[in-house]
Amino acid sequence: MNKNNSKMLTADEASKIVASSVIRRRKKDARLKTYGRIAIGLAVSFLIFLFVSIFSKGIPGFFQYYVTLDVYLDRDRLDPKGDLSPESLYNGDARSIVLESLYKVINPKGRKEKKAAKKIISSNADVRISKMVLDNSKILGKTISITFAVDDDIDSFLRGYIKRETPSSERRINDTVIKFVDKLSAENRISYKFSDYILTGSASRSPEIAGIKGAFIGSMLTLAVCFIIAFPLGVATAVYLEEFAPKNRITEIIEVNINNLAAVPSVVFGILGLAIFIGVFGMPRSIPLLGGMVLALMTLPTIIISSRAAIRAVPPSIKDAAYGIGASKLQTIFHHVLPLAMPGMLTGTIIGMAQALGETAPLLMIGMVAFIVDIPGGVTDPGTVLPVQIFMWADFAERMFIQKTSSAIIVLLVFLIFMNAAAVILRKKLERRW
Amino acid sequence: MNEYTLLILLLLISLLWFYFGNKTALSLKNKQLKLNSLPHYYGIYVALYSIIPSLFSYLLILVFDGILFSNLIMEFVPKEILNSPDFNKIIVLAQIDNAVRGIYFGEQPDWVTIASNQMIEWNNQSLIVNFFCSISLALGIGYLGFKNIHQEFRSRNSVEKIIISLLGLSSIIAILTTIGIVFSVIFESLRFFAIIPASEFLFGLTWNPQFEGAERAGSGQEGLASYGSVPLFVGTFLISLIALCVSVPIGLFSAVYLSEYANKKERSIFKPLLEILAGIPTVVYGFFAALTVAPLMRNGGSLIGLDVASESALAAGFVMGIMIIPFISSLSDDVINAVPQSLRDAGYGLGSTKNEVITNVIIPAALPGIIASIILAVSRAIGETMIVVMAAGLAANLSFNPLDAVTTVTAQIVTILVGDQEFESAKTLSAFALALTLIVITLILNFYALHVVKKYREQYE
Amino acid sequence: MVSNSNINNVKTKTIGEIFSKDPKIICRNVDVFYGEKQAIKDVSIDIASREIISFIGPSGCGKSTFLRCLNRMNDTIDTCKVKGSISLDKEDIYDEKIDVVTLRAKIGMVFQKPNPFPKSIYENVAYGPKIHGLSSSKEELDFIVENSLKDSGLWEEVKDRLQSPGTGLSGGQQQRLCIARAIAVSPEIILMDEPCSALDPIATAKIEELINQLGKNYSIVIVTHSMQQAARISQRTAYFHLGELIEVGETKKIFTMPKDKQTEAYISGRIG
Repeated sequence: MNKNNSKMLTADEASKIVASSVIRRRKKDARLKTYGRIAIGLAVSFLIFLFVSIFSKGIPGFFQYYVTLDVYLDRDRLDPKGDLSPESLYNGDARSIVLESLYKVINPKGRKEKKAAKKIISSNADVRISKMVLDNSKILGKTISITFAVDDDIDSFLRGYIKRETPSSERRINDTVIKFVDKLSAENRISYKFSDYILTGSASRSPEIAGIKGAFIGSMLTLAVCFIIAFPLGVATAVYLEEFAPKNRITEIIEVNINNLAAVPSVVFGILGLAIFIGVFGMPRSIPLLGGMVLALMTLPTIIISSRAAIRAVPPSIKDAAYGIGASKLQTIFHHVLPLAMPGMLTGTIIGMAQALGETAPLLMIGMVAFIVDIPGGVTDPGTVLPVQIFMWADFAERMFIQKTSSAIIVLLVFLIFMNAAAVILRKKLERRW
Repeated sequence: MNEYTLLILLLLISLLWFYFGNKTALSLKNKQLKLNSLPHYYGIYVALYSIIPSLFSYLLILVFDGILFSNLIMEFVPKEILNSPDFNKIIVLAQIDNAVRGIYFGEQPDWVTIASNQMIEWNNQSLIVNFFCSISLALGIGYLGFKNIHQEFRSRNSVEKIIISLLGLSSIIAILTTIGIVFSVIFESLRFFAIIPASEFLFGLTWNPQFEGAERAGSGQEGLASYGSVPLFVGTFLISLIALCVSVPIGLFSAVYLSEYANKKERSIFKPLLEILAGIPTVVYGFFAALTVAPLMRNGGSLIGLDVASESALAAGFVMGIMIIPFISSLSDDVINAVPQSLRDAGYGLGSTKNEVITNVIIPAALPGIIASIILAVSRAIGETMIVVMAAGLAANLSFNPLDAVTTVTAQIVTILVGDQEFESAKTLSAFALALTLIVITLILNFYALHVVKKYREQYE
Repeated sequence: MVSNSNINNVKTKTIGEIFSKDPKIICRNVDVFYGEKQAIKDVSIDIASREIISFIGPSGCGKSTFLRCLNRMNDTIDTCKVKGSISLDKEDIYDEKIDVVTLRAKIGMVFQKPNPFPKSIYENVAYGPKIHGLSSSKEELDFIVENSLKDSGLWEEVKDRLQSPGTGLSGGQQQRLCIARAIAVSPEIILMDEPCSALDPIATAKIEELINQLGKNYSIVIVTHSMQQAARISQRTAYFHLGELIEVGETKKIFTMPKDKQTEAYISGRIG
């Protein structure tokens, strides 16, 4: 290789060559930087797009249209038995009382028009009257003005999703109904306000009265079970593996096992719940207790891994100090290591809980998808959770459910943001310590 | 009196034992005797002695009476229901369970009423048995512990031994979970492969599961059901590939930008923003994909004359890609940051531009870690369920066209197992076989990724 | 261009001869800040062509910081700000027109810890010429690699295993590989930041010998903790203390009759 005539470049020659290449190389450099900017820009704009699309649909979902009617609360017809018991009110004829006061405003003529008029008010109007009477029986026999939710089709019409221009045959509401609605708006009886139902109602097939209360309580119960099981178990396992476990085959297997569990798709945990907890142990389906157990097993690896990291981050000098004054190993851990590692453990736990709160697939498989109207009163009552509710609503055809679904998503996201913010604050606190 | 009051009773008893243990130790101390441990350790010792065995028996009875009764109650189910082809044990149990709770709609069949009454009676008997067993254990073994207390007794060491063994026991849960997962899929999968040959499952080109009832209903349609999983894996592969096409370039370039070009402020803004993407629940992504992205793509497609299915692989894959951007960017960012500064210095010291340092020094050094992050993203994409259930549809088309509707392994598992299933049918069992393959694939990917990461760490530590 | 008239007309507290007859690098009133903290205070010094100059001083005195200013390695630290003027061949290196890439190609650097790329020995040396486009053919590249390895005294030891990884060499060999890598781009000046601090005495001796050889062709600025090393290899020595340049002069003079009390205290081992 030494045979050619070339010799080492002098510094001058070299710097000339370098100078001539610099512009080209700088351009290349700028290009890579631009690619990076574009990539981040894309990712952030996806995020913004997602949020805008959810919020633009979801914020209106917190509001809905109501109609105000003057209702004469006829004691005999509302409370046929006269004992003000829920059964008696249930058997009462609230529905037709509401309809009559509606007819007074819009004057429908003939059976056909009356049938159309019936479509205006939500089917839930009678429940509202029963509730009012139960709360305050003094209103019986009086005429008072009450606001009722309008039916979801009317709501969609008022929002402009069902268009007047569309030919009647293709519309979900016919011309007569539109005429009545116009009349009601002309009399200022239609109002648009914060929905009574979205936060306090429970699952329903009628979108105008559907709400997330049941699912929300179900989520909280499930999460509580998940936390009560996963946090102590996770911390205990982390402490054992970090401080006590002998370095042998079994420990190694446990460690590999935990890492692998963290990678198992969530849907598999649903199968575990279905086959073992329901199939073998005979637990009832759809209950928050079962959901919480399945989610606890799912989040356990996350909690263990982060707790171990937190324990490892405690400086050994602190342990030495405790040993030095004669504390036992367990005392050292419980008095010094765990308190110092707690913020880190809690951070991991909150992240795990946030995962569990948003999880859907495994809960579908253990029957939390069942249509449950009742609000669960305990961990053994059938219930559903927010993400599953979102999944079910997303499947329904009614236009109004799109907004309600988006509203439910907003509630879920707000909760997740709170949880993650708590995790960030804890992490900051942790960083400041040493 | 129910399970909860019994539990509270057990806790109260152990609290009582704590009080007695503590008091005895204090009285020993007051007699100027030198105790081996602090007095409260004696209390804790007795309390643990009381609560552990009683709680264990309490839970044991609670769990096993469920198993026992759910089998015994089948005696009360009429033969014709037991033997009918669409018999489902879980549904029958739920029916009885609802009757026990008093939730039912309309008329109950007689056998349900009888069975539920029997169930209530059994439950009461079991509770009484549980009450006597647990309470006597709590009192009896608690007393044994109490008898152990004397001046020389090293209660702290005993308490610590008990606690350490409890810590050790809790680490077994992780193993039990794995065993549970393995058992729950293996047995059902074996039963599936007894009906459908494994070769058909692995290499068959049509996926068309049918309930056996449905097959019988349409006479002569026995041949309809087929369990070739290739279309599902092709669909999974296709959607994951689309997701990677979105997430790998965006994730990698973001990571490179954030770790090498961005200043501190940019980094502190954009890194958490990207991580938000990972915190959004998948059901939200599914909703977004089905109601926003898919219509956009279909309309966009029809504008340029493309026929995009309303539940296209493209929409699901694209949204899944957005979801896994942070998995790639965070992990890659970590490994890029782990490349020693001295290597960067060496590059810059020779007069490299940033671009040259990144492409010639950093990326080659960080490559194993980057590959691992991509593998983990793949395993994430394969296991992702909600987005595909909501946006990719259920049509098992064998297609590589991203504009077609396809389905995935996870989507099929969910649709088969959600709702009421017949446990014996090949259709239900097929979900377990699918789950088994899914687990095997993700575990192999995960093993490999961890292995690569470990190798990489060893290189620099 | 820095005007000629005021180069040698500078106020300084430094004792000794800061000027040289044939200056390659001219530093005038250089201040360096890390955020709020001032790391270098008002340093003025010339570095001549083909001289070996060593920077000595106690830990944290700013000698490494100052060294890294000379090829703008401090650019990689966000908070670092440099004031005053540093010029190479009478061109201000902090001028906007100057591209840091060309600058660093002229001023090579060897670091405290040997930092070969995790690539083959050949690739390590060939990397600089490749990115700068200094060779137009494989033969030329081979030649540059061979010559650089010969100049750094490593050729005989590695010629049979050019394709094996550079990280597999011993510490001293790695450092010589880094020197070969630096001279492969034909620089004018080589900065060395405590190049022997991670090496054993035998490896150190080899590197010192190599530095003496290289001094015939390059200007070498070496930061060192070892006064013996400074005395053995450098023609001039500069003593830094708390960010200030206290005394500069011929190495012999500095070590035998330092004019400043602080310098004397350090040399005789009372501070440091």
